[in-house]
Amino acid sequence: MFDKEKEMTEMKNYAIIGFGCAGYHAAKAIRKNDPDGRIVVYSDTADPPFNPMLSTYYASDALPLEGTFPFGSMEEIVKDFQLELHSETEAVHVDAAKKEIELADGTRKRFDSILVATGASAVVPASLTENAGRFFLMRTLKDAQNLRNHIEKENVKSAVVIGASMAGIKTAEIFYRKGIPTTLIDGASGLFPLAAYPDVAAMMQAKLNDLKIAQIYNAQVAAIRSNTVELSDGRTLEADCICLCIGVHANIQLVANTKAVEGTEIKIGKGIIVNEQMQTNVPGIFAAGDCCEGKNLQTGETSVIGLWANAGAQGECAGKNMAGKEAVYYGNILHNITHFMDMDFISLGDISLPGEHRRFTGKDFLVEVCMDAGRLNSINIFGQYRISGILKSHLTKRLLHGESTLTPAQRGMLLAEGLPAELINLLGDKES
Amino acid sequence: MSYMFILDKRKCVGCSACAVACMDQNDIDVTAGDRPFRQCFTLESGPDPEDKMTFMSLACMHCEDAPCIQSCPSGCLKKDPETGFTIYDNTNCIGCHSCAMACPFAAPTYNKEGKMEKCDGCLTRVKHGLEPACVRVCPFGALQLVEKEEYENTLRKKAAELIAYSSLKD
Repeated sequence: MFDKEKEMTEMKNYAIIGFGCAGYHAAKAIRKNDPDGRIVVYSDTADPPFNPMLSTYYASDALPLEGTFPFGSMEEIVKDFQLELHSETEAVHVDAAKKEIELADGTRKRFDSILVATGASAVVPASLTENAGRFFLMRTLKDAQNLRNHIEKENVKSAVVIGASMAGIKTAEIFYRKGIPTTLIDGASGLFPLAAYPDVAAMMQAKLNDLKIAQIYNAQVAAIRSNTVELSDGRTLEADCICLCIGVHANIQLVANTKAVEGTEIKIGKGIIVNEQMQTNVPGIFAAGDCCEGKNLQTGETSVIGLWANAGAQGECAGKNMAGKEAVYYGNILHNITHFMDMDFISLGDISLPGEHRRFTGKDFLVEVCMDAGRLNSINIFGQYRISGILKSHLTKRLLHGESTLTPAQRGMLLAEGLPAELINLLGDKES
Repeated sequence: MSYMFILDKRKCVGCSACAVACMDQNDIDVTAGDRPFRQCFTLESGPDPEDKMTFMSLACMHCEDAPCIQSCPSGCLKKDPETGFTIYDNTNCIGCHSCAMACPFAAPTYNKEGKMEKCDGCLTRVKHGLEPACVRVCPFGALQLVEKEEYENTLRKKAAELIAYSSLKD
């Protein structure tokens, strides 16, 4: 009995709030490094970790429901990692000074360390919700189910997708595959405004035109009424199905205005700011995934890089540190790959950084790079996914280590894939 | 026991037998445009006759901390605990090419259905005590499958000694 009491007092208590990719990987890392600790998970759903990227695939019936849960069933996960799961339980506040979590019913729980992994939510401007007609979001499983049900039950003959983002184009693809006329609208001047160079965007827009996907850019949506989208310039578009995909925001409400030790607050920007250990400015309080701002390798500043793999790596790092190991996640670069309508677009690096643009074309593909005084700042690739991993690895290594040379195997593969030697040399490669 | 593929570039003559064996073993339909999981290519150090020519044979490197695993949005990839090979079940693959963007060696390929396929180290063969098909046919023993521990303890040391000896000779 004495030993058990001792064990109970020495056993560490971990809390994970939010159970997506980051939360899952944190739980896995904690259990691996602390076989005896108590891991309590608070999730606002009863579903296993869901990948938002799969929502359009489920909505279009390309993936069964179980396929949207990459880590398997909740029962398996709970058993594998010996979790104390509180599903459909909303945590409303983190008291950083006391390391306590306040639940929606008012109860408070204290922990040795807390991970906030609450993810991100679809942006819905308040102006669009007033007297609004029905529109669909594309972020959560519920969003995907709603759109899927609507398409199955209603005779959808036209669609409008607001937001020429990665989620927007994948949503437009759902309608395109079903032969439903679709219009894509964005306030920016072109497709993928945060990832594509203007000339590359223009080229992709022309290809979408060829596929009969109507596009309206530089257009602000003023209101959604009944089945009509009203633009601020007075134009209106009617559609049987209206989708809103204008981006996401980090879920930071849980720690917003939290008074921490000695009166300081948990630092928040667009996300919860963390260091390379994924710890906030308050010891013992960690954040990972789409709700946090980790290090951006290109700027050296923190920023939200909301990507699946990034969330996993951040969660793993946080979990290790929570369990007493010393782990570092050095950060990441902005990067994206979008496979849409049988096309591939890849963006590596921050396209807002200045530099000279050089464009190279090969058989059915193009690569455009932006370089500033010999430094590679960003890359756009269209139509060639195979080289993307080599170039991403190269750019990341350069930012991490100052310089990087392609291995002979990588160089050979780039040449074999038709990349011009001039471009390989321009990237500053010296054969190792 | 964990394995790794090594290529002794001094012995490789670029015959591509390994790639053909890969096609055969994995039923790769090259006439339909599919690629073998193992690629062969030649690297020339320059345009002059005295410049060196190197032959390469490249497939999945079965990285210890494989970035493709974490990048897959559908959880299709994982490590085989017995061999250390990076293996896959592409049932839920959505063909997003995220694994391709994560791979520093351009290893993932995609079949006619758009689903990812890659070298699995000839897992079934190896688990039955056979060599991977590409290793089996390499006529000069350039391509080998070795136990990681053996490589760390002996072969890496030998390679270092060889490099040191070569530099002395130069």
